[in-house]
Amino acid sequence: MTTLESNVQLPHSLRMPFRLERGEFLKLRKSRGVWIPLALLSIGGIAVMYTAIELFHVYNSAKYTSAGGTDHFEGALILMGQLGGMIAAGLVGAAAGTLDLSSGVFRDFISSGRSRTRLFVAKISGGLALVLPFMAAAYALAAVLCVVLAGGQPTPSIALFVKAGLWVLLSASVIYIVALGLGSLVGSRAAAVSILIAYLIPVQGILHAIGVLGRARDALLGVAVEGLSPLAPADMRNAIPISHTTSVIVLFFWVAIFAGLGLWRTQTRDA
Amino acid sequence: MAKQSDFVIETEGLKKSFGGQMAVDGVDLCVPRGSAFGYLGPNGAGKTTLIRMLLGLTQPSGGTMRVLGRPMPKERSRALAGVGAIVEEPGFHKHLSGRENLWIAAAARESQAHMRIDAVLERVGLSDRADDRVGTYSQGMRQRLGIARCLLADPEVLILDEPTNGLDPGGIQEFRALVRSWIAEGRTVVLSSHLLDEVEKICDQVAIVDRGRIVAQGTLAELSAGDDGAITIGCDDPHTALASIDGNGSLREIEEISGGLRVLLRPDASLEKVAAELNKQLVAAGIAVHRLEPSHVSLEHRFLEITRRLGENS
Repeated sequence: MTTLESNVQLPHSLRMPFRLERGEFLKLRKSRGVWIPLALLSIGGIAVMYTAIELFHVYNSAKYTSAGGTDHFEGALILMGQLGGMIAAGLVGAAAGTLDLSSGVFRDFISSGRSRTRLFVAKISGGLALVLPFMAAAYALAAVLCVVLAGGQPTPSIALFVKAGLWVLLSASVIYIVALGLGSLVGSRAAAVSILIAYLIPVQGILHAIGVLGRARDALLGVAVEGLSPLAPADMRNAIPISHTTSVIVLFFWVAIFAGLGLWRTQTRDA
Repeated sequence: MAKQSDFVIETEGLKKSFGGQMAVDGVDLCVPRGSAFGYLGPNGAGKTTLIRMLLGLTQPSGGTMRVLGRPMPKERSRALAGVGAIVEEPGFHKHLSGRENLWIAAAARESQAHMRIDAVLERVGLSDRADDRVGTYSQGMRQRLGIARCLLADPEVLILDEPTNGLDPGGIQEFRALVRSWIAEGRTVVLSSHLLDEVEKICDQVAIVDRGRIVAQGTLAELSAGDDGAITIGCDDPHTALASIDGNGSLREIEEISGGLRVLLRPDASLEKVAAELNKQLVAAGIAVHRLEPSHVSLEHRFLEITRRLGENS
């Protein structure tokens, strides 16, 4: 049979590892509906927060402290790890789980004979390759502003900076994978985003406030994420004391359950 | 390694039902290597469902299938590595360029697939628009891009479901030339279509499918041979002409058409002899004959005949 190109083996340098992951990254990076909200909710959120606090300080320095320092840094962490950053990672995850389905490309991937499991796994690393740099950039911005705008206030130690950075990245990774699994399961980006936001904001908040649930609230995603925060629990928004071990187990189950459901649906879905 | 079979696709008793409704009902299909194979049937006949099963997009309810000699779905990955396909309308990420879409598709294929992107874009005539967003492409251009995507795998078999949808007449002609070039390269093309004319012009082997079953299968010559002699008669009074030849024992069907008649011959009748005989009969009846054109029944006529007969029997 005549081939379109000669069937020579490519040199190692041209074999391009992680091709599926790169493809996933390309799809998400080029989608304005994905990266603009991601940028706004991560880097934009931090920039707006610090700018607003600094403007208050400039307007009335007797009443408002400067934007830097540990106190405001804790606020930035909550913004990244519990609010805007979490929603941003969730939006990207939901998009990663549904882009191929909504465009009709899923069918083409399946008919290539490539393993459905491999296709799903590529979405995890491909999407995280987009989410984590944005979260890292937002965190770096917060860390720099925390020091530059400290104005004599205490600043976090190097150890706290490192731990907090890892916590922000962990939080974003967990919510990304949960959203990816949810998107793959329901097949609709709008539905996945709606469910996710409904859970993260009102539902989780309500369950969190129901004291009678007691330790059952440890199973809430937000509680488990908070439990690994490098900040003292009292500094967190609605902290329920939870051990690191319990937090890790709960987060493992959240990731395993949603990744498992997404994978199962990817494997069984008619294309 | 799978044994090199004479057939690139073999199915036996293949079935697929949706909630008790049989979409594919015991299909036995053999697609010879190196052929342009037409899978022809009316809308809803089960063509796309069969293709979807062959590509592992949906599971069969029963039966067996082999693609490139490998059992499906057991050896799905290795079998489909040698197959390129378009199923229904090809889907793309509209926010990406044509080239980027091919890059992503190539990522799911062997590593050499990336090296073929420029060549396949050139081959389908999309090189100039390769870096434009697919959202700005016409339907015909998306169809071409779908064909380019099929070729990334350098496939032994191309399975194309209604591939000329959205192509303009020039594009259809180019597509026919492409299929011929693929056959010349030793590839096999399976073309599913409800467009009889298209299949007749492109394919050398045909299976006619209706209500999930294959009702006829063979070469074009086999399917349109045998009892298929036909004569088109142009005359001034078709109604009287019909009455005057109605008793002719060589004819099995007479149909009044605009400006004349069309007659179908019995299998044993000689086309030339009957033509001469009819001319004599009509002239004797005082009919002015201005056209007498012997022909073979087209696949279209044969197709309609088969499916109509099935409809009457059911």
